Amino acid sequence: MSQHNPETAGVSAYSQSKHSRRFDLFKTVFTLPVIIYAILLVLIPLVYIFFLSFLKSDNYGGYLFEFNLENYGEFFDSTYLSIFLKSAGIGLVTTFICLLISYPFAIFLRDLPEKRRNLIMKLVMVPFLTNSLIRTYGLITLLRKNGVINSTLIGAGVISSPLALMYNNVGIITGMVYTLLPFMLMPVCSAVVKVDQNLLDAAEDLGAGKFAKLFKIYLPLTIQGAFNGSLMVFIPAIGYFFIADILGGGKAMIIGNLIKNQFLTARNWPLGAALSIILLLFTFILVRIYRKIGGSLDELGGG
Amino acid sequence: MRERTGLIKKLFFSLAVIVIVALIIAIIIIYQPDNQETSNQRILNVLNWTSYIPDEVINDFENEYNIKVNYGTYSSNEELLAKLTSSREGTYDLVFPSDYMIDLMISRNLLETLDQEKLENKDNLNPIFLKQSYDPDNSYSLPFLLATTVFLYDSNKTGPITSYKDLKKPELENNLVMLDDQRIVIGAMLNACGYDMNDVREDHLEESLEFFNQIKSNIKAFDSDSPKTFFITKEVDAGLVWNAEAILAREENPDLTISYPAEGFALSMDNYAIVKGAKNVDSAYLFIDYLLRSDVAQKIVDEYPYISAIKGVESLPEEELERILANGAYIQNVGADIKRFDKLWAKYK
Amino acid sequence: MSFKKNHRLRKAYITIVMLLLFLPIFILIAFSFNESKLNVVFTGFTFDWYARLFANADLIDAFKNTILIAVLSTGISTVIGVLSAVGLKKFQFRGHGLIDKLIYIPIVIPEIVLGIALLSVFTLAKLELGFWTVLLAHISFSVPFVITSVRSTLYSLPKHVESAAADLGASRWQIFWHITLPLIWPGIVSGALLAFTLSMDDVVISYFAAGPGTNTLPLYIYANIKTGISPDVNALTSIMLVITVITLTTSAYFQSRKVAARSIS
Repeated sequence: MSQHNPETAGVSAYSQSKHSRRFDLFKTVFTLPVIIYAILLVLIPLVYIFFLSFLKSDNYGGYLFEFNLENYGEFFDSTYLSIFLKSAGIGLVTTFICLLISYPFAIFLRDLPEKRRNLIMKLVMVPFLTNSLIRTYGLITLLRKNGVINSTLIGAGVISSPLALMYNNVGIITGMVYTLLPFMLMPVCSAVVKVDQNLLDAAEDLGAGKFAKLFKIYLPLTIQGAFNGSLMVFIPAIGYFFIADILGGGKAMIIGNLIKNQFLTARNWPLGAALSIILLLFTFILVRIYRKIGGSLDELGGG
Repeated sequence: MRERTGLIKKLFFSLAVIVIVALIIAIIIIYQPDNQETSNQRILNVLNWTSYIPDEVINDFENEYNIKVNYGTYSSNEELLAKLTSSREGTYDLVFPSDYMIDLMISRNLLETLDQEKLENKDNLNPIFLKQSYDPDNSYSLPFLLATTVFLYDSNKTGPITSYKDLKKPELENNLVMLDDQRIVIGAMLNACGYDMNDVREDHLEESLEFFNQIKSNIKAFDSDSPKTFFITKEVDAGLVWNAEAILAREENPDLTISYPAEGFALSMDNYAIVKGAKNVDSAYLFIDYLLRSDVAQKIVDEYPYISAIKGVESLPEEELERILANGAYIQNVGADIKRFDKLWAKYK
Repeated sequence: MSFKKNHRLRKAYITIVMLLLFLPIFILIAFSFNESKLNVVFTGFTFDWYARLFANADLIDAFKNTILIAVLSTGISTVIGVLSAVGLKKFQFRGHGLIDKLIYIPIVIPEIVLGIALLSVFTLAKLELGFWTVLLAHISFSVPFVITSVRSTLYSLPKHVESAAADLGASRWQIFWHITLPLIWPGIVSGALLAFTLSMDDVVISYFAAGPGTNTLPLYIYANIKTGISPDVNALTSIMLVITVITLTTSAYFQSRKVAARSIS
């Protein structure tokens, strides 16, 4: 599987031309693992589900080798299409709420002394070092009909009958925001902190108000960070089936549940594969847009 | 000074690398994953319904026979089927499919034949549960527990619920819990429209969907694993749940009432069955035989009050059991039409 | 005056967001001391769950698996990731461009797609689902995070250091071992930490890759969340949280001391 090409000349101190025609152990050690990894654990699985998506299900968990496009046709069936649209809606609302929380947080954080700022950024990470499921479980105790929020509000006389905070879209979105917020907070904060103070001072001298500063300076200069965060929030928000399962009461399906169900209850792998491929294409389009506005893939990985 | 710190850094670094590598190697050598058969301890891979066998029973069995039980769960027969067909042969040994799923699995050649001679305690079984249509000679399965669907409601919060039509009541808005099981819920809706649970006529299925859509806004959640929790935490006031879940919920909240749907309800007999290609067949027989013991069966019913297939541990009076058996009906295997239920279920939800 | 008020408002906002973030954590810690088995109402204070925790064999098993998988997958993917990042930068080979794109895919695609793709391939290859498939799956999503993390430090290295060493006659192994590696150490550490955290918390991919007998902590919690999680899980998570916080503060303390020491010298 190693694809050595003695003809390509090395590009740095690491290349040694005298070795180029022989077996090059150093080069092998540094390139073979990534080749094996990328082919075995990324390329083959994805190519395989692409292939699967054109097969036909035998209704019992196996598949028949009849090439067809039926599975993609099924996507346009009103049932599945409406789940995709609803799921995209939940993802967008989640992303928007995360943006709405993160921007003021980042702008306010900017004014704090560096030491305090770093401390807060570290503290923000702490909840996310605990298990996301147990945090979701903690949310249940907050959101349920007789949970902490409802009983506090009723006790304080704010409401008379409990609010429906879970087993609906409100619950799913709350759960998603809680789980995914750090992925928005981190890029937005680091982008906002980097904005040049001189620009802000100049804007202020020219009489810019708070909102003018937000829309004319912060937003344009931090758009990449915001888009980075939005990607890292939106993509999981349409796939995290466990949050929809737990906080949606099994009735509000998102794309993640739909795909999971094809594999784990409806036994229709080809349809599940086709839905995954559609989701994958959708993701690639988003990433493409992100690259277009100058975003770097390395930053997506938190690097 | 700087050189020294550099040296220390390098030393520390090499040390760290060595320690990490050593640790990884040591772990790989020492660790033996649970699912591999190790030394002399035998294992058994069980896949069963959620909330069905108390942990205590499994622990006692493990201690008595020195067999490690790997216990996985599912919430519906369809999930069980998916898990079996998608895993490598020999992954699971013992499963607990219901009636119609036994029929389907036999037809798909997914089950081993069951040698009753190996089961000393088989005579403890109540004969009225044997030789059912889904496995006429019990050559693949033996009955374990009988579940039925029932209504459960808080009589302080809502009027009596005895018919599926009662689920439409406006006071139940966002106040119902439903089993998360396609055949059971679709079957119930077919019953509600006056048809058989196993009807596959397109217009009848369509009608059931219409009926369901009228109660949909009342449904707060679908859950088969622990619908009782919704009642105990007072999240809902009514629902269609399994009988044992209803009894357990009523123990916590005496205001809850149980009733049987007038238009018909589902009987669901769950059976022991050994999976084709099972690797730990002997352990599986031992476990079945263990569960066939009267005292063990009693322990199970004490914790999960379903109807035991073992003589003498019936949790219900004889005449009530007869009435249930007479009024309820089993779901049946519908062959390739299963795909239509899969699709209809997606529309239901 | 208005400035001060404004300032207080800002501080209040930050505090409120932080409190909201911590609220579910506080609740989960509180319920680990609750007498009742149901996480519904607080009935009385007890340490029982911390003691009973160790008697819950399934939970302890799941916890051990989680740690083991996290350590192994972090170790392996860190090694692969470091070699890959350096190799992809230094060498050209056939398919370089393709590989360079492939390694970003696990970062951007929805986890569920990677999960089912891996499940499909594991089934195709007739691998027995269990410990090793979960480990493979975790390596599959961890490597790219290590690569990107190492890469960002690799590209910010001072130029010519490596070529200078080469001019002085150092072999390629020596350059890598004595020059490159120590310089990219921070990137390696942060990549490894990220990989470890992701592995510890992964639900979606493990859900598809796990078989009977191999449970991880997230899977254990997911399986039990509907029937109700008993407070020993809260107890375990609280202990883990305390350990995490202690580790973070000590590392922060040492870092600040290092910075202080450097500024003195």
